[in-house]
Amino acid sequence: MLQYVNVNIDGAIIHATKGTSVLDTALEYGICIPHLCHVPYLSDIGACRLCIVEHVVNGRSNVTTSCTLNVEEGMVIMTNTDRIRKLRRNLAELLVAQAPNSRAIQDIALRCGVREVRYPFRNEDCVLCGRCVRACTEVWKARAIGFVGRGKDRHVDYPFGIRPDFCKQCGTCIQICPMTIPPCGGPMKPGEERLCGDCESQLIIADETVGSCVWCKLGEGFACGRYV
Amino acid sequence: MGTPIHTVVFDIGGGAGNGNRVKAVQTGGPSGGCLPVDKFDLPIDFDVLYQAGSMVGSGGMVVMDEETCMVDVAKYFLTFLQDESCGKCLPCRLGIDRMLEIITDITEGRGKPEQLDLLEELADTVAQTALCGLGKTAPNPVLSTLRYFRPEYEAHINEKTCPAGVCKALITYSIDPDKCNGCGVCLRACVYGAITGTKKQVHIIDTQLCQKCGICRSECKFDAIRVA
Repeated sequence: MLQYVNVNIDGAIIHATKGTSVLDTALEYGICIPHLCHVPYLSDIGACRLCIVEHVVNGRSNVTTSCTLNVEEGMVIMTNTDRIRKLRRNLAELLVAQAPNSRAIQDIALRCGVREVRYPFRNEDCVLCGRCVRACTEVWKARAIGFVGRGKDRHVDYPFGIRPDFCKQCGTCIQICPMTIPPCGGPMKPGEERLCGDCESQLIIADETVGSCVWCKLGEGFACGRYV
Repeated sequence: MGTPIHTVVFDIGGGAGNGNRVKAVQTGGPSGGCLPVDKFDLPIDFDVLYQAGSMVGSGGMVVMDEETCMVDVAKYFLTFLQDESCGKCLPCRLGIDRMLEIITDITEGRGKPEQLDLLEELADTVAQTALCGLGKTAPNPVLSTLRYFRPEYEAHINEKTCPAGVCKALITYSIDPDKCNGCGVCLRACVYGAITGTKKQVHIIDTQLCQKCGICRSECKFDAIRVA
Protein backbone atom coordinates (compact mmCIF):
# COMPACT_ATOMS: atom_id res chain seq x y z
CA MET A 1 0.00 0.00 0.00
CA LEU A 2 1.28 3.45 -0.87
CA GLN A 3 2.03 5.70 2.03
CA TYR A 4 1.61 9.42 1.77
CA VAL A 5 3.28 12.37 3.46
CA ASN A 6 2.40 16.05 3.49
CA VAL A 7 5.11 18.39 2.26
CA ASN A 8 5.05 22.14 1.90
CA ILE A 9 6.53 23.20 -1.44
CA ASP A 10 6.40 26.95 -2.11
CA GLY A 11 3.52 27.27 0.32
CA ALA A 12 1.41 24.54 -1.28
CA ILE A 13 0.67 21.57 0.96
CA ILE A 14 1.26 18.56 -1.28
CA HIS A 15 0.08 15.04 -0.62
CA ALA A 16 3.15 13.21 -1.89
CA THR A 17 3.95 9.53 -2.22
CA LYS A 18 6.49 8.43 0.36
CA GLY A 19 9.86 7.55 -1.15
CA THR A 20 9.72 9.90 -4.10
CA SER A 21 12.09 12.81 -4.52
CA VAL A 22 11.13 16.42 -4.00
CA LEU A 23 11.87 17.11 -7.67
CA ASP A 24 9.48 14.41 -8.90
CA THR A 25 6.79 15.58 -6.50
CA ALA A 26 7.15 19.20 -7.57
CA LEU A 27 7.11 18.37 -11.27
CA GLU A 28 4.07 16.16 -10.86
CA TYR A 29 2.31 18.96 -9.05
CA GLY A 30 3.25 21.50 -11.72
CA ILE A 31 5.99 23.38 -9.91
CA CYS A 32 8.85 24.15 -12.26
CA ILE A 33 12.35 23.24 -11.11
CA PRO A 34 14.89 23.32 -13.96
CA HIS A 35 16.99 20.18 -14.18
CA LEU A 36 19.47 18.54 -16.51
CA CYS A 37 20.93 15.30 -15.18
CA HIS A 38 17.58 14.06 -13.86
CA VAL A 39 15.78 11.54 -16.09
CA PRO A 40 12.60 10.02 -14.65
CA TYR A 41 13.53 6.36 -15.15
CA LEU A 42 17.16 6.67 -14.03
CA SER A 43 18.68 7.04 -10.58
CA ASP A 44 19.61 10.55 -9.50
CA ILE A 45 23.21 11.55 -8.85
CA GLY A 46 22.87 15.31 -8.28
CA ALA A 47 25.67 16.20 -10.67
CA CYS A 48 24.28 19.22 -12.48
CA ARG A 49 23.06 21.00 -9.30
CA LEU A 50 20.47 22.96 -11.30
CA CYS A 51 17.54 21.58 -9.35
CA ILE A 52 18.70 23.23 -6.10
CA VAL A 53 16.00 24.24 -3.61
CA GLU A 54 15.96 25.73 -0.15
CA HIS A 55 15.15 23.17 2.51
CA VAL A 56 14.13 24.79 5.80
CA VAL A 57 15.20 22.79 8.85
CA ASN A 58 14.70 24.26 12.33
CA GLY A 59 14.38 27.74 10.89
CA ARG A 60 17.62 27.50 8.92
CA SER A 61 17.54 27.04 5.20
CA ASN A 62 19.97 24.71 3.47
CA VAL A 63 20.59 24.74 -0.25
CA THR A 64 20.38 21.22 -1.59
CA THR A 65 19.46 19.41 -4.77
CA SER A 66 15.81 18.38 -4.94
CA CYS A 67 16.50 15.26 -7.03
CA THR A 68 18.46 13.61 -4.22
CA LEU A 69 16.16 14.80 -1.43
CA ASN A 70 13.31 12.44 -0.53
CA VAL A 71 10.01 13.79 0.75
CA GLU A 72 9.38 13.59 4.48
CA GLU A 73 6.43 14.51 6.61
CA GLY A 74 6.24 18.22 7.44
CA MET A 75 9.08 19.22 5.14
CA VAL A 76 9.27 22.88 4.05
CA ILE A 77 10.77 23.49 0.60
CA MET A 78 11.16 26.74 -1.32
CA THR A 79 12.02 26.41 -4.99
CA ASN A 80 11.94 29.93 -6.28
CA THR A 81 13.49 32.37 -3.81
CA ASP A 82 15.82 35.17 -4.87
CA ARG A 83 18.77 33.27 -3.44
CA ILE A 84 17.95 30.12 -5.40
CA ARG A 85 17.29 32.00 -8.61
CA LYS A 86 20.64 33.76 -8.35
CA LEU A 87 22.58 30.56 -7.61
CA ARG A 88 20.76 28.72 -10.40
CA ARG A 89 21.52 31.51 -12.85
CA ASN A 90 25.21 31.40 -11.96
CA LEU A 91 25.31 27.63 -12.41
CA ALA A 92 23.53 27.82 -15.76
CA GLU A 93 25.96 30.53 -16.81
CA LEU A 94 28.90 28.23 -16.03
CA LEU A 95 27.19 25.47 -17.98
CA VAL A 96 26.41 27.49 -21.09
CA ALA A 97 29.89 29.03 -21.12
CA GLN A 98 31.36 25.53 -21.11
CA ALA A 99 29.14 23.98 -23.79
CA PRO A 100 27.06 26.50 -25.75
CA ASN A 101 26.67 24.22 -28.73
CA SER A 102 23.41 22.56 -27.73
CA ARG A 103 19.79 23.58 -27.82
CA ALA A 104 19.19 21.89 -24.49
CA ILE A 105 21.91 23.85 -22.72
CA GLN A 106 20.83 27.11 -24.34
CA ASP A 107 17.24 26.48 -23.25
CA ILE A 108 18.30 25.71 -19.69
CA ALA A 109 20.35 28.92 -19.58
CA LEU A 110 17.34 30.87 -20.80
CA ARG A 111 15.01 29.17 -18.34
CA CYS A 112 17.38 29.93 -15.45
CA GLY A 113 17.56 33.61 -16.36
CA VAL A 114 20.99 33.91 -17.96
CA ARG A 115 21.02 37.08 -20.03
CA GLU A 116 24.75 37.55 -20.48
CA VAL A 117 27.73 35.25 -20.18
CA ARG A 118 30.64 36.80 -18.31
CA TYR A 119 33.15 34.02 -18.99
CA PRO A 120 34.99 33.28 -22.22
CA PHE A 121 33.18 30.54 -24.14
CA ARG A 122 34.64 27.09 -24.52
CA ASN A 123 33.23 24.72 -27.08
CA GLU A 124 33.21 21.49 -25.12
CA ASP A 125 31.24 18.47 -26.30
CA CYS A 126 30.32 16.93 -22.96
CA VAL A 127 28.89 18.44 -19.77
CA LEU A 128 29.29 15.20 -17.76
CA CYS A 129 25.62 15.03 -16.80
CA GLY A 130 25.99 11.24 -16.70
CA ARG A 131 22.73 10.46 -18.48
CA CYS A 132 24.42 8.12 -20.98
CA VAL A 133 26.40 6.29 -18.32
CA ARG A 134 23.33 5.72 -16.15
CA ALA A 135 21.13 4.67 -19.08
CA CYS A 136 23.72 2.14 -20.21
CA THR A 137 24.24 0.82 -16.70
CA GLU A 138 20.69 0.86 -15.36
CA VAL A 139 18.41 0.35 -18.36
CA TRP A 140 20.48 -2.12 -20.40
CA LYS A 141 22.75 -3.39 -17.61
CA ALA A 142 25.50 -3.24 -20.21
CA ARG A 143 28.08 -1.05 -18.41
CA ALA A 144 29.74 -0.41 -21.74
CA ILE A 145 30.58 3.20 -20.90
CA GLY A 146 31.59 4.86 -17.67
CA PHE A 147 33.35 7.84 -16.21
CA VAL A 148 37.12 7.82 -16.61
CA GLY A 149 39.55 10.09 -14.81
CA ARG A 150 38.86 12.72 -12.21
CA GLY A 151 38.66 16.47 -11.87
CA LYS A 152 39.40 18.25 -15.11
CA ASP A 153 40.23 14.98 -16.85
CA ARG A 154 36.91 13.31 -16.10
CA HIS A 155 35.26 12.08 -19.27
CA VAL A 156 32.97 9.34 -20.54
CA ASP A 157 34.70 6.46 -22.26
CA TYR A 158 34.69 2.72 -22.94
CA PRO A 159 36.73 0.54 -20.60
CA PHE A 160 40.38 1.18 -21.54
CA GLY A 161 39.14 3.20 -24.52
CA ILE A 162 38.19 0.14 -26.59
CA ARG A 163 34.58 -0.66 -27.52
CA PRO A 164 33.74 -3.86 -25.65
CA ASP A 165 31.60 -6.71 -27.04
CA PHE A 166 28.83 -6.00 -24.54
CA CYS A 167 28.18 -2.62 -26.18
CA LYS A 168 25.42 -3.58 -28.61
CA GLN A 169 25.47 -0.15 -30.24
CA CYS A 170 21.86 0.37 -29.24
CA GLY A 171 22.26 4.14 -29.41
CA THR A 172 20.50 4.89 -26.11
CA CYS A 173 23.44 6.96 -24.96
CA ILE A 174 23.17 9.14 -28.06
CA GLN A 175 19.38 9.52 -27.82
CA ILE A 176 19.50 10.60 -24.20
CA CYS A 177 22.45 12.99 -24.54
CA PRO A 178 21.55 16.67 -24.17
CA MET A 179 24.44 17.68 -26.40
CA THR A 180 23.18 15.96 -29.55
CA ILE A 181 20.48 18.56 -30.30
CA PRO A 182 22.15 21.44 -32.17
CA PRO A 183 21.06 25.03 -31.53
CA CYS A 184 18.26 26.24 -33.80
CA GLY A 185 20.66 28.40 -35.80
CA GLY A 186 22.91 25.43 -36.57
CA PRO A 187 26.07 24.30 -34.80
CA MET A 188 28.34 27.11 -33.64
CA LYS A 189 31.92 27.10 -34.85
CA PRO A 190 34.74 27.72 -32.38
CA GLY A 191 35.01 31.46 -31.87
CA GLU A 192 31.40 32.12 -32.84
CA GLU A 193 29.75 30.86 -29.67
CA ARG A 194 27.06 33.07 -28.25
CA LEU A 195 24.09 32.95 -25.94
CA CYS A 196 21.20 32.11 -28.21
CA GLY A 197 18.26 33.75 -26.44
CA ASP A 198 15.99 33.45 -29.47
CA CYS A 199 13.30 31.69 -27.48
CA GLU A 200 13.02 34.50 -24.96
CA SER A 201 9.42 35.04 -26.06
CA GLN A 202 8.63 31.60 -24.63
CA LEU A 203 9.45 32.95 -21.21
CA ILE A 204 6.89 35.76 -21.07
CA ILE A 205 4.17 33.49 -19.82
CA ALA A 206 6.57 31.68 -17.48
CA ASP A 207 7.62 34.95 -15.86
CA GLU A 208 4.04 35.90 -15.08
CA THR A 209 3.38 32.65 -13.31
CA VAL A 210 6.63 32.44 -11.43
CA GLY A 211 7.66 29.00 -10.35
CA SER A 212 4.88 27.03 -11.96
CA CYS A 213 5.21 24.78 -14.95
CA VAL A 214 3.42 26.20 -17.96
CA TRP A 215 4.48 23.44 -20.33
CA CYS A 216 6.91 25.82 -21.92
CA LYS A 217 8.40 24.54 -25.16
CA LEU A 218 11.84 24.94 -23.58
CA GLY A 219 11.34 21.72 -21.69
CA GLU A 220 11.44 19.69 -24.90
CA GLY A 221 15.00 20.77 -25.47
CA PHE A 222 16.44 19.64 -22.17
CA ALA A 223 14.09 16.67 -21.86
CA CYS A 224 12.28 18.10 -18.88
CA GLY A 225 10.73 15.36 -16.75
CA ARG A 226 7.27 16.32 -17.96
CA TYR A 227 8.10 15.57 -21.57
CA VAL A 228 9.77 12.19 -21.21
CA MET B 1 42.88 25.42 21.54
CA GLY B 2 42.00 28.91 22.64
CA THR B 3 45.56 30.20 22.29
CA PRO B 4 45.70 33.48 20.36
CA ILE B 5 47.26 33.24 16.91
CA HIS B 6 50.00 35.77 17.72
CA THR B 7 51.24 33.60 20.59
CA VAL B 8 51.74 30.70 18.19
CA VAL B 9 53.22 32.80 15.40
CA PHE B 10 55.50 35.17 17.33
CA ASP B 11 56.21 33.55 20.70
CA ILE B 12 56.35 29.88 19.76
CA GLY B 13 57.24 30.26 16.09
CA GLY B 14 59.51 33.26 16.43
CA GLY B 15 57.94 35.42 13.73
CA ALA B 16 59.32 35.90 10.23
CA GLY B 17 62.98 35.56 9.35
CA ASN B 18 65.17 38.23 7.70
CA GLY B 19 63.51 40.95 9.75
CA ASN B 20 60.48 40.97 7.47
CA ARG B 21 57.06 41.86 8.77
CA VAL B 22 54.48 39.09 9.03
CA LYS B 23 51.56 39.74 6.70
CA ALA B 24 49.13 36.87 7.09
CA VAL B 25 48.64 33.38 8.41
CA GLN B 26 46.92 30.66 6.45
CA THR B 27 45.17 28.13 8.65
CA GLY B 28 43.45 24.85 7.94
CA GLY B 29 45.24 23.55 4.89
CA PRO B 30 44.30 24.29 1.27
CA SER B 31 40.59 24.80 2.00
CA GLY B 32 41.28 27.20 4.83
CA GLY B 33 41.57 30.93 4.62
CA CYS B 34 44.19 33.62 5.12
CA LEU B 35 43.93 35.90 8.15
CA PRO B 36 45.68 39.29 8.26
CA VAL B 37 47.83 40.53 11.15
CA ASP B 38 45.01 42.54 12.73
CA LYS B 39 43.08 39.28 13.26
CA PHE B 40 45.98 37.73 15.20
CA ASP B 41 44.22 38.35 18.51
CA LEU B 42 41.66 35.70 17.63
CA PRO B 43 41.90 32.49 19.64
CA ILE B 44 42.40 29.27 17.69
CA ASP B 45 38.88 27.92 17.93
CA PHE B 46 36.47 26.26 15.51
CA ASP B 47 33.70 28.85 15.61
CA VAL B 48 35.90 31.93 15.84
CA LEU B 49 38.07 30.98 12.87
CA TYR B 50 35.01 29.94 10.86
CA GLN B 51 33.41 33.34 11.40
CA ALA B 52 36.64 35.05 10.36
CA GLY B 53 36.47 33.21 7.03
CA SER B 54 38.99 30.48 7.74
CA MET B 55 38.87 27.20 9.64
CA VAL B 56 40.88 25.01 11.95
CA GLY B 57 40.89 22.18 9.40
CA SER B 58 44.07 20.15 9.53
CA GLY B 59 45.46 22.40 12.26
CA GLY B 60 48.34 23.48 10.04
CA MET B 61 49.49 27.08 9.82
CA VAL B 62 51.41 28.76 7.04
CA VAL B 63 52.82 32.13 8.06
CA MET B 64 53.47 34.55 5.23
CA ASP B 65 55.57 37.73 5.25
CA GLU B 66 55.44 40.78 3.01
CA GLU B 67 57.27 39.01 0.20
CA THR B 68 54.23 36.79 -0.41
CA CYS B 69 51.60 37.87 -2.92
CA MET B 70 48.12 36.98 -1.68
CA VAL B 71 46.72 36.66 -5.21
CA ASP B 72 49.48 34.18 -5.95
CA VAL B 73 48.62 32.29 -2.75
CA ALA B 74 44.97 32.01 -3.82
CA LYS B 75 46.12 30.81 -7.23
CA TYR B 76 48.40 28.18 -5.72
CA PHE B 77 45.66 26.75 -3.49
CA LEU B 78 43.11 26.78 -6.31
CA THR B 79 45.52 24.81 -8.49
CA PHE B 80 45.81 22.24 -5.73
CA LEU B 81 42.03 22.09 -5.23
CA GLN B 82 41.44 21.70 -8.94
CA ASP B 83 43.67 18.64 -8.88
CA GLU B 84 41.81 17.29 -5.87
CA SER B 85 38.32 17.81 -7.28
CA CYS B 86 36.66 14.58 -8.37
CA GLY B 87 34.78 16.30 -11.18
CA LYS B 88 31.32 14.95 -10.46
CA CYS B 89 29.38 18.08 -9.69
CA LEU B 90 29.24 21.10 -11.92
CA PRO B 91 30.01 23.98 -9.50
CA CYS B 92 33.20 22.39 -8.20
CA ARG B 93 34.51 21.20 -11.56
CA LEU B 94 33.68 24.29 -13.62
CA GLY B 95 33.60 26.81 -10.77
CA ILE B 96 37.16 26.18 -9.56
CA ASP B 97 38.30 26.12 -13.17
CA ARG B 98 36.75 29.52 -13.88
CA MET B 99 38.01 31.02 -10.61
CA LEU B 100 41.50 29.86 -11.51
CA GLU B 101 41.06 31.34 -14.99
CA ILE B 102 40.10 34.73 -13.55
CA ILE B 103 42.90 34.72 -10.97
CA THR B 104 45.44 33.71 -13.62
CA ASP B 105 44.22 36.62 -15.72
CA ILE B 106 44.72 38.94 -12.76
CA THR B 107 48.24 37.71 -11.99
CA GLU B 108 49.23 37.99 -15.63
CA GLY B 109 48.02 41.55 -15.98
CA ARG B 110 44.84 40.92 -17.98
CA GLY B 111 42.47 41.53 -15.07
CA LYS B 112 39.51 43.87 -15.31
CA PRO B 113 37.87 45.64 -12.34
CA GLU B 114 34.49 43.94 -12.89
CA GLN B 115 36.16 40.53 -12.60
CA LEU B 116 36.55 41.00 -8.85
CA ASP B 117 32.78 41.10 -8.33
CA LEU B 118 32.36 38.14 -10.67
CA LEU B 119 35.01 36.24 -8.71
CA GLU B 120 33.26 36.94 -5.43
CA GLU B 121 29.85 35.95 -6.80
CA LEU B 122 31.24 32.77 -8.34
CA ALA B 123 33.06 31.82 -5.15
CA ASP B 124 29.85 32.31 -3.18
CA THR B 125 27.89 30.17 -5.67
CA VAL B 126 30.41 27.33 -5.48
CA ALA B 127 30.45 27.45 -1.69
CA GLN B 128 26.68 27.16 -1.48
CA THR B 129 25.90 24.66 -4.21
CA ALA B 130 28.76 22.16 -4.37
CA LEU B 131 28.00 18.54 -3.61
CA CYS B 132 30.64 17.67 -1.01
CA GLY B 133 32.83 19.31 1.60
CA LEU B 134 35.72 19.89 -0.77
CA GLY B 135 33.61 21.98 -3.11
CA LYS B 136 31.89 23.82 -0.29
CA THR B 137 35.19 24.95 1.20
CA ALA B 138 37.17 25.26 -2.05
CA PRO B 139 36.43 29.00 -2.52
CA ASN B 140 37.76 29.82 0.98
CA PRO B 141 41.25 30.83 -0.22
CA VAL B 142 39.64 33.20 -2.73
CA LEU B 143 36.96 34.57 -0.42
CA SER B 144 39.29 35.19 2.53
CA THR B 145 42.00 36.87 0.46
CA LEU B 146 39.35 38.99 -1.29
CA ARG B 147 37.93 39.96 2.06
CA TYR B 148 41.15 40.96 3.80
CA PHE B 149 43.55 41.76 0.96
CA ARG B 150 41.30 43.37 -1.64
CA PRO B 151 43.72 46.35 -2.15
CA GLU B 152 46.30 43.84 -3.37
CA TYR B 153 43.90 42.49 -6.00
CA GLU B 154 43.07 46.06 -7.01
CA ALA B 155 46.77 46.91 -7.37
CA HIS B 156 47.16 43.95 -9.75
CA ILE B 157 44.18 45.05 -11.82
CA ASN B 158 44.28 48.83 -11.83
CA GLU B 159 47.98 49.61 -11.51
CA LYS B 160 49.26 46.36 -13.05
CA THR B 161 51.78 45.96 -10.26
CA CYS B 162 52.40 43.20 -7.78
CA PRO B 163 53.11 44.87 -4.41
CA ALA B 164 54.94 41.81 -3.12
CA GLY B 165 56.98 41.37 -6.31
CA VAL B 166 55.91 37.79 -6.99
CA CYS B 167 53.69 37.79 -10.09
CA LYS B 168 56.21 37.54 -12.91
CA ALA B 169 54.16 39.26 -15.59
CA LEU B 170 53.82 42.40 -13.49
CA ILE B 171 57.36 42.93 -12.20
CA THR B 172 60.67 44.04 -13.69
CA TYR B 173 64.11 43.51 -12.23
CA SER B 174 66.59 46.37 -12.26
CA ILE B 175 69.92 47.15 -10.62
CA ASP B 176 70.26 50.03 -8.17
CA PRO B 177 73.29 52.02 -9.44
CA ASP B 178 74.00 53.38 -5.96
CA LYS B 179 74.34 49.97 -4.34
CA CYS B 180 75.96 47.98 -7.16
CA ASN B 181 79.75 47.88 -6.95
CA GLY B 182 80.25 45.72 -10.02
CA CYS B 183 81.39 42.55 -8.29
CA GLY B 184 80.00 40.39 -11.11
CA VAL B 185 78.31 37.76 -8.99
CA CYS B 186 74.93 38.36 -10.59
CA LEU B 187 76.49 38.31 -14.06
CA ARG B 188 77.91 34.83 -13.48
CA ALA B 189 74.75 33.62 -11.72
CA CYS B 190 72.30 34.68 -14.46
CA VAL B 191 71.28 31.59 -16.42
CA TYR B 192 69.83 33.58 -19.30
CA GLY B 193 72.78 35.91 -19.91
CA ALA B 194 70.56 38.90 -19.30
CA ILE B 195 73.05 40.87 -17.18
CA THR B 196 75.84 42.84 -18.84
CA GLY B 197 78.61 44.97 -17.38
CA THR B 198 82.33 45.11 -16.77
CA LYS B 199 84.09 44.67 -13.46
CA LYS B 200 83.86 47.58 -11.02
CA GLN B 201 81.16 49.15 -13.22
CA VAL B 202 77.43 49.21 -12.54
CA HIS B 203 75.77 46.23 -14.20
CA ILE B 204 72.56 46.42 -16.27
CA ILE B 205 69.72 43.91 -16.68
CA ASP B 206 68.37 43.45 -20.19
CA THR B 207 64.60 43.31 -19.58
CA GLN B 208 64.05 41.57 -22.93
CA LEU B 209 66.22 38.61 -21.92
CA CYS B 210 65.34 38.58 -18.21
CA GLN B 211 63.11 35.63 -17.28
CA LYS B 212 62.46 37.00 -13.75
CA CYS B 213 63.80 33.89 -12.03
CA GLY B 214 65.19 35.92 -9.11
CA ILE B 215 68.57 34.15 -8.92
CA CYS B 216 70.46 37.45 -9.22
CA ARG B 217 68.50 38.88 -6.33
CA SER B 218 69.28 35.95 -4.05
CA GLU B 219 72.98 36.00 -5.05
CA CYS B 220 73.54 39.75 -4.62
CA LYS B 221 75.35 40.49 -1.35
CA PHE B 222 74.63 44.23 -1.52
CA ASP B 223 70.85 44.14 -1.98
CA ALA B 224 71.28 46.04 -5.23
CA ILE B 225 68.64 44.20 -7.31
CA ARG B 226 65.31 46.00 -7.19
CA VAL B 227 61.95 44.44 -7.98
CA ALA B 228 59.18 46.77 -9.08
